Amino acid sequence: MIKKVHHVGVVVRDIDQALRFWRDTLGLSLHKTQVIEEQGVRAALLSLGTSEIELLEPTVTDNGVARYLEKRGEGLHHVCFEVDDVEASLVRLQERGTEMIDQETRVGLAGRICFLHPSALDGALVELCQPMDDVVTEIAG
Amino acid sequence: MSELTLDHVVIAVRDLDSATSDYSTLLGRRPSWRGEHPTYGTRNTLFRIDNTYLELLSLGVVKGKDRRWGGELERYLEQRGDGLYALAIGTDDVDHTARELRSRGVDVLDPADGDGVDAVTGARRSWRNAMMSPKSSSGARVFFIEHRSPPDALPMAELLDDHGSAVKRMDHAVVLSADMEASRRLWADQLGVRLALDRTFPERNTRILFFRLGDITIEISGGAAQSQEGIGKPDRLWGIAWGVGSLEATAARIRAAGIDCSDPRPGIKPGTLVATARGPQTHGVATLLIEHLPESFRPESRAPQGHAYDNAPERRAFAPTALRGVTVTSHDAATSADRWRATLGLERSPVAAAGSLPLSEVVRLDAFNATIELFHPADPHDPAARALRERGPGMYSIAIEVDDLSAAISDLRAKGVTVTEIGDGTEGRGRSAIVDRAATNGVYLELIQRADSASSG
Repeated sequence: MIKKVHHVGVVVRDIDQALRFWRDTLGLSLHKTQVIEEQGVRAALLSLGTSEIELLEPTVTDNGVARYLEKRGEGLHHVCFEVDDVEASLVRLQERGTEMIDQETRVGLAGRICFLHPSALDGALVELCQPMDDVVTEIAG
Repeated sequence: MSELTLDHVVIAVRDLDSATSDYSTLLGRRPSWRGEHPTYGTRNTLFRIDNTYLELLSLGVVKGKDRRWGGELERYLEQRGDGLYALAIGTDDVDHTARELRSRGVDVLDPADGDGVDAVTGARRSWRNAMMSPKSSSGARVFFIEHRSPPDALPMAELLDDHGSAVKRMDHAVVLSADMEASRRLWADQLGVRLALDRTFPERNTRILFFRLGDITIEISGGAAQSQEGIGKPDRLWGIAWGVGSLEATAARIRAAGIDCSDPRPGIKPGTLVATARGPQTHGVATLLIEHLPESFRPESRAPQGHAYDNAPERRAFAPTALRGVTVTSHDAATSADRWRATLGLERSPVAAAGSLPLSEVVRLDAFNATIELFHPADPHDPAARALRERGPGMYSIAIEVDDLSAAISDLRAKGVTVTEIGDGTEGRGRSAIVDRAATNGVYLELIQRADSASSG
């Protein structure tokens, strides 16, 4: 099911300021930024070996990322695992009664994704993703 | 991505007729085109020269339906007055260029069709362009343009006389930068423009970057040393250097027409002569006239002069190489491990067996390229214990492997980041140091170097 850790998500107040550390000071290379209007976030992906660091800045005040930022401040937000088939993974998790945030997969920065509810895994927010270059290109275009 | 060129430069002006007359005098040419952009609500005058064209742009009488361009121009003129407004980068396929640049993290607005009508001849030209967001372009207004009309749709600007005093070509455009590294990343890494020169002139407290777009140079100019205050500050389009055949003749001609022009003097590059044109006729654009003498094309003329030196390609003190671990705090690591295995199929990592802590306190799960560490801190003074008490179980820290931990610590400290001394890493992970969360957007970040790594500090 799991292929690897695709990325870890970090919630920040200002991506440009955050890049001063993650890109300019630590030396990670930025390979994508994108505003995902329907999710109310601006995101930046930085390469780190076979994984990535995803910086997330809320662009609205009423989504999960904004609420996280307001309640807990900046910090580590989620871990995303890459899977072969995110649809099949979601069905399998639902069948075994795992509490999910997403009842259907959707398109995110990392491809087709779904989130498990933090209560499922010791308070950790876990995302599953299936990278889909064609989908990402379509969004970007 | 198709090869990028400098298609043209745009000067924003409030009075188009006056600016047209002034630039006709300065360039020694009649306009190639005087027209309108019905869609944008703007008017323009164009002068085509040998290697590009100049666009003087002003607001039209009627506002266009696409307010992205007219509205932006209106704001610029209100805030700043006349000045060098935009660089237009030429491409064969603007949609492809926009997609490609977005994939490199550049924020490019959606491409849109545009057209213009010549007010004198009724001729039409069409194009498709896309603007880079000012945030992505370090504040300098840059857009990409694909012409849909043949090149001869915009004729060469006729000479006012035949005395060889007219401007022939654009030599370079100058961008002032307070954040040279950000500018270098934008033009070299994201736009993929060739960096031909990176030179520091200590006597002038100046560093310049030359980027080549076709046969035109974009000169990024800033301080010799990067100031902290300058980081993140926007670039400013500042000036144009026009190439002439005889600087003496050009200077004499424009002086006779009432434009203030300095005496010709040797340029910084050996084999060049330069003169500065000043006054309201330049419409807020720093204006240099430059003549290249034959010796300027000799290889030795490219070498640094005096105390100037070329900057080496960026060398980093260390490199982050991998995400090695994600730590999740838990009230009982063994129970959590069973839950993670049942839910995600993650099995215990062999590395876990190397640890001395009981399984109720730490279990590592193998996620193939990293480990997920489920951690119940038994020591109440452990920072993780405090996080567990205050925030409950959940995401706690990440471990990033670097190729040289000692170099990483020195480099980060030199950049003002607080890092602990080297200690034993989380069990089985070699040596490590913790980066202050004030620098890491609140992330508890452990830098590690594997015990079997060849590089050591």
